Amino acid sequence: MAVLQMQRINICALKKDRKAILETLQRRGVVEICDLSSQDNAFQKDDTSDARSQFEKTIVLANQALETLDVYAPEKSSLMDMFNGREAITTEQYQTYAQKAPEIEKAASEIVSLAKKVAENKAEILKLQAQIDALAPWMGLDVSMQFSGTRCTAAFIGSFPEQLNLEQIYEKLAQAAPEVTFHIEIFYSSRDLTCIIALVPRQQAAAAEEALRGMGFAKPASPPKEPPKEYQAILERQITDAAQIIDSATETIASHSAMREPLHFLVDYCTMRMEKYDAISRLLNTRRTFFLSGYIAKVDAPALEAELSKNFDIALEFVEPTEDEDVPCLLRNNKFTEPVTGVLESYGLPQRGEIDPTPIMAFFYYFLFGLMFSDFGYGALLAIGTGILLLKCKNMEPGTRRMIKLFFFCGISTAAWGIVFSSYFGDVVDIVSSTFFGREVTIPPLWFAPLDDPMKMLVFSMTLGVIHLFTGLGIQFYQHVKAHNWYAAITKVILWYMLVGGLIVFGLSTEMFTSILQLTETLPAAVGSVAGWIAAIGAVGIVFTNGESKNPFVRFAQGLYELYNVTGYLSDILSYSRLLALGLATGVVGSVINQMGSMGGNGIPGVILFVLVFLIGHTINFGIELLGAYVHCNRLQFVEFFGKFYEGGRRKFEPLGVHTKYYKFKEDN
Amino acid sequence: MANMGMAFAILGAAFAAFLAGMGSAVGVGLAGQAAAGVVTEDPNKFSKVLILQLLPGTQGIYGLLIAFIALSQTGILSGEGSEISLVKGLMYLAACLPMGIVGYISAKWQAKASVASISLVAKRPEQFGKAMIFPAMVETYAILALLVSLLSISGVTGLPI
Repeated sequence: MAVLQMQRINICALKKDRKAILETLQRRGVVEICDLSSQDNAFQKDDTSDARSQFEKTIVLANQALETLDVYAPEKSSLMDMFNGREAITTEQYQTYAQKAPEIEKAASEIVSLAKKVAENKAEILKLQAQIDALAPWMGLDVSMQFSGTRCTAAFIGSFPEQLNLEQIYEKLAQAAPEVTFHIEIFYSSRDLTCIIALVPRQQAAAAEEALRGMGFAKPASPPKEPPKEYQAILERQITDAAQIIDSATETIASHSAMREPLHFLVDYCTMRMEKYDAISRLLNTRRTFFLSGYIAKVDAPALEAELSKNFDIALEFVEPTEDEDVPCLLRNNKFTEPVTGVLESYGLPQRGEIDPTPIMAFFYYFLFGLMFSDFGYGALLAIGTGILLLKCKNMEPGTRRMIKLFFFCGISTAAWGIVFSSYFGDVVDIVSSTFFGREVTIPPLWFAPLDDPMKMLVFSMTLGVIHLFTGLGIQFYQHVKAHNWYAAITKVILWYMLVGGLIVFGLSTEMFTSILQLTETLPAAVGSVAGWIAAIGAVGIVFTNGESKNPFVRFAQGLYELYNVTGYLSDILSYSRLLALGLATGVVGSVINQMGSMGGNGIPGVILFVLVFLIGHTINFGIELLGAYVHCNRLQFVEFFGKFYEGGRRKFEPLGVHTKYYKFKEDN
Repeated sequence: MANMGMAFAILGAAFAAFLAGMGSAVGVGLAGQAAAGVVTEDPNKFSKVLILQLLPGTQGIYGLLIAFIALSQTGILSGEGSEISLVKGLMYLAACLPMGIVGYISAKWQAKASVASISLVAKRPEQFGKAMIFPAMVETYAILALLVSLLSISGVTGLPI
C-alpha cells in the first residue's frame, strides 16, 4: 500500500547463459537494468545498435504491411474492442511463430511491394488519362498528326490559339501570302483553340508556313505516329492493363489477410528482441562471463532469486541502495485506491522520504468528484456503464482498467451525492410528474437542495476544503516525524495549524463573520479570544522560525514573507467554492433541459419532444459536467492538496519486460 | 414604464448568457484550431486535445446557469411575469454582470492557456495531467464570478423592495 522499497541487484553469470537469463528477467518484468559504465579494460560492452536498427526496420515494414491490409482487407471492429486488451499467446504458439519469423517478414515485404505497385499503376492511369484528354481536340483528324503531305502537296496540322471560322482564316492568309493557294479544313473549334489542317502545293510550302506562323499557328507538341483515334485506343488499352494489374495486386493483398495475426506477432517479436538487445548493450562482459546490475522491488527479490539460482550457475547479490543513488519508484496499492495512481502518476511519483499519498487521495478524490457531479441519474449511468465494461472486458489493459475503475467509484459517489441533494437528471421527477401526470411529485433531498440554500452549500464546501487542506498538512507532519525532523514538524506544520485554525475559530466567534456565512450561532467571545491568542502565537512563531538564512535580519524578513502565505490558505479555502459552483451547474443545466423538453405540454407530441430533448440534452450535459468534475477534482488534488506536502517527480520504475502491442506472452508456471 | 424593473432583470440575464457565451465560443474556437492541427499530425491524440479544447467552454454554461436562475426569479419562464420594481430590476442586472464580464474575459484567456497546453500535449503526451491544470487555473476566476452572481441573485430575491 505504498512506495515499494527498492534494492540493487547484482548478477554475475556465465556468458553462455546470458540469453536465457535475460529472457527470464524479461518474462518476469521485475528488474530495471542500469547502464553500467566500464571503468577498466577487463570489461567491455557489446554494441547492439546494428541489431536493434535491423529490428526497427522490420517493425516499420510489418507496420506498413498491416496498414496496407487495413486498406484492402479491412477488419471489422466494434466499440468494445477498444477496451479489450491484448490476446494471450501460449508458449507453443510462440515457438511456431518464432520459427516462421523470416517467412512472415518475406510476406510483409511482398505486401508492401504490391501496395507500391498499386500506387505506381494508379499514377500511370492518371497520366494516360491526361494524355487522352489532351488528344480530344484532334479526334476529328483521320490521318496521323505527323502527316506532312503527299508528293505534290504539303500538309500543315496544328492550331490557332483563338476561335476563328473558315472565312476569317482565308481572309487573314490572303493578306499575309496572297500568292499561296490554301485548302483549309477546321476539325475542332472552341473559344480559345481552333484546330485545322491546311493543304498547299508543295513548292509554296515555305511561304505558306510563314503566313500561318504569323497568325499564331502552332504544331502539336510531340504528336504520336498513329492517327488520333487509333492512338486513343492504344492508350485505353494501356489503362485497362494497368487497372488489371491493380486488381490482381489488390486481390493478392486481400488474400494475405490471414497474415494479419502473424504480422502482429512479428511486430511484438521484434519489439521484445529489441528490448532484450537494449538490455544486452547495458551489460559488462568479459570473455566468458557477464555482469548485470539493476533495481528490483524488495518483495519481488526472493522469487527471482529462487528461480535464477535453480536454473543457472549464477552469483546473485542484493544491496540496499545508497543515499545519493537515483532509485526509481514503484507503487503498489489495493483495489480501492489503486485507480487513483494514474492521476498521481500524471503529477509525479513520490520523492524519497515522501509517502505514497494514494490511499488518502483516493478517498478525497471519489468524495469530491461525486460532490461536483452530484446527480443520481448521471452517477448511476456512469457506475453501471463502467461496471458493465469491467465485467465484460476481462482482458483490458491495466492502464485502461484503472481509468474505468476510477470512474466506477466516482460514479457511485456521484449517485450517492445525488440522493443527498435530490438531483435526478436535474429535476426530472418534478417535471415529468407535473407535465404528464398533472400532480407534482418531489423526492425530498436527504439533506438539503443546494439551489435553495447556496450559502449553506458554500459553507459546507469550504469546511470540506479546510479538512482536505489540514489532512495535507497532517501528511507533511507525518513525513517530518518519519524523518525524525521534529523541528520542521513543529515550525512547518504545528505553527500553521495554530495560525489558520486559530483564525478560523476566531472568525466564527465574531458577529460579522458568522452573519456573512449566515450561520445561526456565534461562538462565545471567550473561545474567540483564546483562539486569537493561539493564532497570534502561531504567527509570531512562523516569523521567527520559518526563515532559513543565517543572517538574523534576512531570516526575520523571510519569516515575514512566509507569514504572508496565510493569504494562500485563504485562496485555497475559497477555491473549494468550485464544489458548490460545479454541483449547481449539473443540477441547473439539467433542469433547463427538462424545462425545455416539457414545453410541448402533455400529449403524444409533447412526450416525443420531451424524450428527444431529454436524450440529447442530458447526453451533452453529462459529457461536459463529467469533464468539468474530472478536471477540477484533479486541480483540487494537485494544487491545493499536494501544495501542502507533496513534491513528487521521481523517476518511474521501468523494468525490462515485455512491452508488446498485440499479444500477451503467458508464463508457463 | 410600469415594468422597467422586469426589463432590466432580463437585460441582466441576457448579459450573463451572451457575454459568457461569446467568450466560450471564441475560446473553444481558438483551442479547436490548435487541436485540429495536432490531430493532422497524430490522430491518436484526438481525445486528449478534445478535452483541452472543451475547457474554455464552461463559461458559457455558467452564463446560461446565471441567466436561467435570473429568469426563473423574474417569473418569466412560467409565463406569470410578476411585478418587479425598478430598483430590484437594476439589482438583478448588477448581479448578473460579474458572470458576464469575467466569463467573457476568462474564457478568452483560458483558451490561450489551452492552446499552449495543446502544443504541450503534442510534444509530450505523457504530461497530459499537468497540461490540463494550466487552463483550469484560469477557470477559478470564472467560478468565483459565478459564485458572486449566484449569491447576489439569491440575495436580491429575498429583499422586500
